[in-house]
Amino acid sequence: MSEVIKIIAIGMLALIIIIIIKQYKPEFAIYISIIAGALILLISLQKMGEIVTLIKNISDKAGVNGKFLSIILKITGIAILTEFAVSICKDSGESSIANKIEMGSKVIIISMSIPIISSLLELMLNILP
Amino acid sequence: MDIDLLFRIAAIGILVAVLHQVLARAGREDQAMMTTLAGLIIVLSMVIKEISTLFESVRTLFNL
Repeated sequence: MSEVIKIIAIGMLALIIIIIIKQYKPEFAIYISIIAGALILLISLQKMGEIVTLIKNISDKAGVNGKFLSIILKITGIAILTEFAVSICKDSGESSIANKIEMGSKVIIISMSIPIISSLLELMLNILP
Repeated sequence: MDIDLLFRIAAIGILVAVLHQVLARAGREDQAMMTTLAGLIIVLSMVIKEISTLFESVRTLFNL
């Protein structure tokens, strides 16, 4: 429960500071929003560690291939970082840069998921008579 | 470590804004611009340090 309060406090605080700073020096407003986003993400990442270990335990028990799980975790990490960058770019009005970042990360994610797709196709070929 | 980072950046921002006004009034526009740039670079180094810790923690968490 204290994490939620901390996250909301950081968000509100950054909001107020940004409103004050925006009149005098608009450049610093972007810095504060980046730092606030990074802090909130860091707090939530501490909790994410427990989730990741839980997923690993469950997948080991279920016998899921470890390679696929690590790819899925990598893709989740890439998605988190990309969303962090895209929202900051959109916030400061640079939606074209945001789209480029998004497209680039999608390409990387697809290129990383090639082994999964290929093993899926092989599985289907074996099943078909 | 985390909350006071916000206050530090806000303080530097306000300080630079005040310095900019004072120097501009005193007729030294170039020095005013210098102080603004210096403030921006200082805050940029702090932001980059924080972003690198964030990226490092994500990397180690998801073993990217």
